[in-house]
Amino acid sequence: MDARLRRVNKEIADCKNDKTSNIHIELIDDSPFHLKGSFPGPEETPYEGGKFDVDIVIPESYPFQPVKMKFITKVYHPNISSASGAICLDILKDAWSPVLTLKSTLISLQSLLCSPEPNDPQDAEVAKHYTTSRSSFEETATYWTQIYAGGPGPKKEKSMAKPSERDEIAIAGLDKAHVEKFEGIGFERGKVIDVLRRLNYRGANAAQITDDRVVEELLK
Amino acid sequence: MTSEESEGLESRTESIANEVDETTAAEAKPQSPGSQLEEVTVCTALSGVALADLSHSQLIDLNQNALNDLVPNRPLIEGVEPISALRAEYESGSPRFRTQIDGLTDAGFRLLRRARGDGDCFYRAVGFAFVEQIFGDQEQDMAVASALSLLESSLEWLDAVGFQRLVYEDFYDTLCGLIQNIATPEMNGSVLTEATLLDQFQHPEASNSIVAFLRLLTSSHLRLNEEEYSPFLFHPELGEPMNVRDFCENFVEGSGKEADHVQITALCRILRLNVKVAYLDGRSDTVDFVDFQNDSTSKRFITLLYRPGHYDILLTDDGSPSAAALV
Repeated sequence: MDARLRRVNKEIADCKNDKTSNIHIELIDDSPFHLKGSFPGPEETPYEGGKFDVDIVIPESYPFQPVKMKFITKVYHPNISSASGAICLDILKDAWSPVLTLKSTLISLQSLLCSPEPNDPQDAEVAKHYTTSRSSFEETATYWTQIYAGGPGPKKEKSMAKPSERDEIAIAGLDKAHVEKFEGIGFERGKVIDVLRRLNYRGANAAQITDDRVVEELLK
Repeated sequence: MTSEESEGLESRTESIANEVDETTAAEAKPQSPGSQLEEVTVCTALSGVALADLSHSQLIDLNQNALNDLVPNRPLIEGVEPISALRAEYESGSPRFRTQIDGLTDAGFRLLRRARGDGDCFYRAVGFAFVEQIFGDQEQDMAVASALSLLESSLEWLDAVGFQRLVYEDFYDTLCGLIQNIATPEMNGSVLTEATLLDQFQHPEASNSIVAFLRLLTSSHLRLNEEEYSPFLFHPELGEPMNVRDFCENFVEGSGKEADHVQITALCRILRLNVKVAYLDGRSDTVDFVDFQNDSTSKRFITLLYRPGHYDILLTDDGSPSAAALV
């Protein structure tokens, strides 16, 4: 058995035997080098109550080179691509060392959800949202956790019922009234959402952006 | 660590800083191939300049770039070659390098064993020379036994700093298996020879496992002797003091992280090695040697050749690593 397989088998067993960490690793297909990791969203964060799945690929030169990980579950977070699930975390790149394991790396991802680093973003738009209007960011992240990760949804929600259909305005982290305003001028909803998201038309920042600027973008 | 030993800190710092820069740049703009291009431009800009006019850090860059170009084609560690081959490479460069190489030749170092310039060269060279020294010991069985007991007792340190057994046991088994095999035949009856030793160190899995184990030993030693080392722990890029944990995680434990004086001091102490480092830097006509003396009962030592950003192994005519002229 080669060293990589021996090591991965030990790591999977170690994770199975550890009942306290709440980190799970399972096979995706027949290969022991393509795995799925999962962990619960950390408490006291917008990710609480969600279950987050991570795609794990063990490269040929593991553990000398870093494991490749990306989120399967869609996550709204400055250091995670909202489109691809790609992760910006030093230990997955040049700060990797053979001391790290699949379990410790998944735990690091869990901590990343607790402490975003907006100055080193993977998703620039989400990072802008995070830095300019935190409460609106948290609402959006909570909504994503609810619809993509099976989270409970907003704590102060009057009705605890799950939204019957996905609200594309909430997914984009925008205000319904803002979107409707520009829809009212005659622009198509998808286009309006796209432009307002790119402009970070949220919270106090919305007041900084003139209607003309938005219309200019909409006409492009 | 003496203040003299710490002098070399700055030199190595530069090259690591460059590596870090490149990585950071590449991460910041993953879609831009520009960073790669810029670097080529820098290299080209330097090519018309006399080597002697370059600053020390520029020399390191130049050297590291040249080494990087060679990386894919070079074995992890090579067979022995005459040092004249190295001299020939400097034929069109600074005469000072040639004078320094001539000085090494006069001192008895006529042979060279190269390590690949992949950031692991120090650990790989020391690992190889460590096993080779046991192999060549007149009292081989005793040397094997004492090396194995040294390594076994070191596991305590790895546990003490909290490394998981599953993380280091395969690396440990690889190194110990190799040393064991000097004295004890394998299942198929073969014992270690010069040829199989080289073969093992050229095999990425075994070779990188040994490098990884030496890195973890170095890290655990630094962490357990924090008070002694902390005045010398600086971020190689920013020059700011670092705590031992951050230093080890970022500049010791990972593959390809280059060794500086702190790491050299630590590893030579752990393995109780006498090591001389010959500084071939083209800055003067003579070669300076820096000694890391850790076994006063032995006159044997390992000699490493340092060129800006890189380590190889120096050997005397008979293939022994000790030159009589320097004892």
